[in-house]
Amino acid sequence: MFDGLIQGLATALQPSVLIYSLFGVFLGTFVGVLPGIGAMATISLLLPLTYYISPEAALVMLAGVYYGSQYGGAVASILLRLPGTPQSAVTSLDGYPMARDGRAGLALFTSMLSSFLGSMLGIVVLVMLAGWLAELATKFGAADYAAMMILGLVAASTVGTGNPAKSLAMVVLGLILGCIGTDVNSGVQRLTFGWAELMDGINLVALAMGLFGVSEVIANIRKADRHGPPTKVRFLQMLPTRQELRTIIPPALRGTAIGSFFGALPGTGSTISSFLSYALERRISRRPERFGHGAIEGVAAPEAANNSAAITAFVPTLTLGIPGDPIMALMLGALIIHGIQPGPMMLEARPDMFWGLVVSFGIGNLFLLILNLPLIGIWVSMLRIPFRWLYPAILIFVCLGVYSVRGSTFDLIMVAGIGAVGYLMALARFNPALLLLGFVLGPLIEVNLRRAMLISRGDPMVFLERPIAAVFIIAAAALILLSLWQAVRRGSR
Amino acid sequence: MRRDYYDILGGAALAAIGLCVSAYAAVHYDFGSLRRMGPGFFPVVLGLMLAGLGLIVAIPAWGRSTDARPFELPEALGALGAIIFFALTMDRIGLILATALSVLIATLPAARKGLGWRLVLGGTVTLLVWLVFGVGLSMTIPLWPWSA
Repeated sequence: MFDGLIQGLATALQPSVLIYSLFGVFLGTFVGVLPGIGAMATISLLLPLTYYISPEAALVMLAGVYYGSQYGGAVASILLRLPGTPQSAVTSLDGYPMARDGRAGLALFTSMLSSFLGSMLGIVVLVMLAGWLAELATKFGAADYAAMMILGLVAASTVGTGNPAKSLAMVVLGLILGCIGTDVNSGVQRLTFGWAELMDGINLVALAMGLFGVSEVIANIRKADRHGPPTKVRFLQMLPTRQELRTIIPPALRGTAIGSFFGALPGTGSTISSFLSYALERRISRRPERFGHGAIEGVAAPEAANNSAAITAFVPTLTLGIPGDPIMALMLGALIIHGIQPGPMMLEARPDMFWGLVVSFGIGNLFLLILNLPLIGIWVSMLRIPFRWLYPAILIFVCLGVYSVRGSTFDLIMVAGIGAVGYLMALARFNPALLLLGFVLGPLIEVNLRRAMLISRGDPMVFLERPIAAVFIIAAAALILLSLWQAVRRGSR
Repeated sequence: MRRDYYDILGGAALAAIGLCVSAYAAVHYDFGSLRRMGPGFFPVVLGLMLAGLGLIVAIPAWGRSTDARPFELPEALGALGAIIFFALTMDRIGLILATALSVLIATLPAARKGLGWRLVLGGTVTLLVWLVFGVGLSMTIPLWPWSA
């Protein structure tokens, strides 16, 4: 393990990797602060850039955007009650009342300290789990992989908010879109309708940019600027008293525990962790009536939870090659672009990559903490930039990014089309992130399912006979039954 | 409050897509067997699942009401129009003009009136694009109409 850390330091401290890491966390904070554009859109926008840099630098940069946006997302949540990212939506419940009471500085400090604690402890959990899981994964067969991915898709669409039928429909639509292109087993062109441009399937970059970049821009042109000026915050106001510090740490640790656990599970991620940890704090509090009126625990716990979950979400992605949430699906896509297939072999074959990422998490988070505290005034003033100055530039960036992938104007027209559909989906509250998760996992599920059925000679019982697969399938079935039961109960009331 | 047409139309559209995919795949691709799944197996099964889920979404929505969410047509036209304009013209009029004009199209739906800020923004973005893509990366994209 110490060998690994040293190897990781060697990778992460390479100037090119370090610069992209810092660029990632800086950009992540920036887009996290700004309401109207989130980590998902930003990572999609950066995907074309990853063609031009080394895979280590690409992964470290995209990861930096993700956890950096978690830090930034809290700022708009607290100061304007406008969550910059869905993961920080809960933070506004108590963070905004704190800011209204003149405790904005303390709320921001709490969110940053909790984020830092959550991330750092999340890294420890990541390292411990990854080695263990990679070893376990060598026992995984095709049926186990397929079952685990199915559980991930079911969990992502049934746990959490929203109508599970709509979420599942989005996942299935994503799986169908994933079928488009040349079938790997038979070489048949599937669902391309004779368009040569679709032979390699729908371009991940075009899909992600259309669904997130373009549709978020359309949805935010009118509403993003409708907020008053943010409260001014100075660095010195942020520092807590010893008493306050003591009320921050325990909820942050509880939040970290929840976040690390749910982040590592496929399908549940940082958004769900932040909601759960907030609910837990309110339940165990001796004075639950303070929640919603500026309870400091209500900021500390969810911020620690969403940051630790963002880190441990890399466990299934890197050790099994199975992304647990849509952002991880994009990370996986970025690695596959570079011809690296994450999975149990990666820890053995590319230890520099794994440990480099781990060390970069540490460096990035330290950088975020050191930089964000004194620079908070600058981030707050970012909230004054009107969206109308930003979105035309974002659209041009979308065009150039998609075009640069393979010089195809067909892809650009496709982005516009996907963007239109994505906007309609968002308007009707169908979650496009689940579509993307299905799209990335679809081909992997199909390959493993076909292999499993070939090995078992067409006997579907293989999914219940293998213990690992059986656990996943039973859990998936239980989640579906649970949401059916909830729907029936809601209907009968 | 009004009837939840978002879910009714969305669910119906998904159901229709599912049926079409399923039927198309069943006709054109080999379904195979459970043991040897053909290229048609996945699309056919997934299409039927999508059709079922679409109906589960659409039917209960008939008796439900929801808040009205306006479709922001000018915003959608501005943003999509900018991308499509860029796609159609870039090869012919070059990166610089395509960028500047696309920015102007994108700003059309913005609430703030006036031409001044639009020209400033268009100029700034075009300058940045020229610096990054024309000077910095020297990509093989035509920059001007005469180099296209």
